[in-house]
Amino acid sequence: MAVIGGGIAGMNAALSLAKQGTKVTLIEQSPSIGGHMAKIGKVFSPVKIAEECGMCLLNPILNEVVWNDNIEVMTNTQVIEAERRAGTYNLILEQSPRYVNPDKCIACGKCAEVCEVEVPNDWNDNLSNRKAIYRPFGQSYPEAYTIDMENCDKCANCVKVCPMHAIKLKGKSEKLPLSVGSLILATGHQLFDPNKRPEYGYERYDDVITQSELGRITGVNGPTKGKLVKKNGKVPKRVVMIQCVGSRDEKPDGHKYCSKVCCMVALKNANIIKHKYPDTDIVICYTDVRTPGMYEKYYKHSQASGVRFIRGRPGEVVRKGENYIVRVEDTLKKEFSEIEADMVVLSTAMEPSEGTKKIADILNVGVTEDNFIKESHPKIKPVTTDLQGTFVCGTAQDPKDITESIMQATAAASKVAEYNYAGVEIEPFIAEIDDEKCELCGNCIKRCKFKSMSINENRVEIDPMSCTGCGKCLTACRQAAITVNGNIDEKIMATINGVLDKKGENERMILVFLDNIGYTAADNIGVNRLSYPESIHIIKVHSVNRVRPRHIRYALENGADGVFIGEFPGDLMYEEVERKIERVKKRILESNQNPERLAFSKVYIPYFSGLAKKLTDFDEKIKELNELEA
Amino acid sequence: MNVQKITDTPLNFAEEIINDIKSSKEDGILKCVQCGMCTSTCPAAKQSDYNPRDIIERVLQGDEDLIEDDVIWNCFYCYTCHSICPVGNSVCEVNQILKQFAIAKGVADDKIYDYLGFADSYYNSAIGAIPSKFYPEIKEDVEGWWEFRQNLGKIREELGLDALTPPKDVIDEVSLILTNCGFKERIDKVRNNDEL
Repeated sequence: MAVIGGGIAGMNAALSLAKQGTKVTLIEQSPSIGGHMAKIGKVFSPVKIAEECGMCLLNPILNEVVWNDNIEVMTNTQVIEAERRAGTYNLILEQSPRYVNPDKCIACGKCAEVCEVEVPNDWNDNLSNRKAIYRPFGQSYPEAYTIDMENCDKCANCVKVCPMHAIKLKGKSEKLPLSVGSLILATGHQLFDPNKRPEYGYERYDDVITQSELGRITGVNGPTKGKLVKKNGKVPKRVVMIQCVGSRDEKPDGHKYCSKVCCMVALKNANIIKHKYPDTDIVICYTDVRTPGMYEKYYKHSQASGVRFIRGRPGEVVRKGENYIVRVEDTLKKEFSEIEADMVVLSTAMEPSEGTKKIADILNVGVTEDNFIKESHPKIKPVTTDLQGTFVCGTAQDPKDITESIMQATAAASKVAEYNYAGVEIEPFIAEIDDEKCELCGNCIKRCKFKSMSINENRVEIDPMSCTGCGKCLTACRQAAITVNGNIDEKIMATINGVLDKKGENERMILVFLDNIGYTAADNIGVNRLSYPESIHIIKVHSVNRVRPRHIRYALENGADGVFIGEFPGDLMYEEVERKIERVKKRILESNQNPERLAFSKVYIPYFSGLAKKLTDFDEKIKELNELEA
Repeated sequence: MNVQKITDTPLNFAEEIINDIKSSKEDGILKCVQCGMCTSTCPAAKQSDYNPRDIIERVLQGDEDLIEDDVIWNCFYCYTCHSICPVGNSVCEVNQILKQFAIAKGVADDKIYDYLGFADSYYNSAIGAIPSKFYPEIKEDVEGWWEFRQNLGKIREELGLDALTPPKDVIDEVSLILTNCGFKERIDKVRNNDEL
């Protein structure tokens, strides 16, 4: 199996499965595994009234991943294509070159010493510089340097100085195939861009920073070695923290949800400062302090440490002399306040990472209205996705802290173990051969797009994992030796009759045929509180190809005002279905009826809003046609 | 002490405002969490007792005394609260509705008397022009404005723009609309208030 994303969630999922004997490929797009946790500095935990070193907790896990024989770590690697066939995911990975051979590199650092290119160090939130040849962070894995080729000037100083001859300035991206039985998505989050809220002056003012940057500044492995200082090198006298930047925010680019961890992050950073710099005043401007469960004790601890709280959401930060003014209403006192501060820290929202959005697209897996990976049932089916054999964990699913990410990771691993040991559930509606009638002509084998049929020991065998029950083979068999289980033709006809029977006078009725993928997309319309017209009646079919021309014509002749057929373009039968619909349209035209009453459309699970719009547009069109013809 | 009887329906007031024709926000008022972001940037709150967050709080409490409270007249529609509200509420719109309630109730004639000139310009010229009674003050406050105002016709001509006031048929049509929708009657009522 493969885990996509090498942060704290992905590493734990990989470890859990590897310990159960499963071979795991851990795919990470950056040069090192470790994720956001590596740069947090200190972390908070439930129950504990103390902050602990994040790296000290992370490093043993990282080492375990590295030393586990069942895990293959692939860094600098992304999934660029994926398809699922017969319960197997066929992935195409792209591995970009490191330019430093990790097997030879001993991480001595001589290369970086002679490198003359300095660029902002993104691992330190650009608060310090690094060289073009660099090691992401002290404990990074692979334990090797890498070259950031976008910034390298190819002076080759590093090549000359490397005692291990590990550096090569030439290298090409490599495409690698990988077949796995199941997937865990742990592609994580990114932080809301504070420049989207210019009223807080993040770009204008030096000492308006994010909590993440504060974490780097207070981290002993950060740019100031843990010393809390402003840009001018002085310790701040008053730090004001602004909560909910981009969270609980319905303005454009904002997020409606609560990012869940920012209250604890702010309290943690406030406590760290208070313990080390008791003279620095800290004010947290909050809307609600959300520290559920045991975290409430930590909140009380922060109050006892002297952290101050103002209930109000600041509207802006402006400069006044050398300091800043935070404008906020103290809503409990009903008092308009201007708080002078010399450091302002923004608690920015957690949002799905670019990688999370990309993998959802590539895999055609369902997402929420906020673009996180959607669970197939948010209450009783955690970590499962709309895609069989694909599970999700960590902040790719929604905002959460490290503890929860690990819990979800192990739950996802457990779900994969179910697959490994208990097998896969498949639909029973597959093709069956009557051996007595079969002449072994092989026509069905040629027609089957899913390569589910083969001749074995003088009989045609059908692979139940890959057969989709599309029915293509039925038309190929001269002997009529094939049936598809489940009386599908009759079932579709009966459903059409059942729906049309209910049609009231002057009621507009549109029948929509969708398979599992289209049906999930339609389901997501509801889950995300969008709507489609009342005239839409969805009929779920096992395979869109099983909707036959006679079904469509029958529906239109017996009361349906329109028929809409949706098919996922990744389905191997897509083109065939498209051609079939064109043929049916022609036939409809020949019988002097309007072919516009039949629509064919692509459907994708993540684009539920697109489907909602298409259904609405089609309903409008049918309404117009009805009015024209009336 | 605030006693809430089982028959009290405090949200009716909010619903009445939400359902007003002027309201463009669906349910912003009901989603208010009293974060105070509006107040923190409100110029009127800085200079007076007006507090946009408090306006919404009182609306949600069903406090209909708000209609007769002078405080609603301190909002001058800069729309900062409108653009900054995290739940998509608009206090300045709520104020506009409250003011209309006050006018309809006949308790605000003195507040709008000075602005009848605006209403007249809609009715007589189909544009929202600055009433001439404000000219002396603007002349004093805004340098060059008076010269600009006097030559406005010529400037518009040079720029290839039509005359400031639309043609007569347009004015007649707007006047007819304003008469039929009750606007004219409303301004006449204020103008004829003997107490002012």
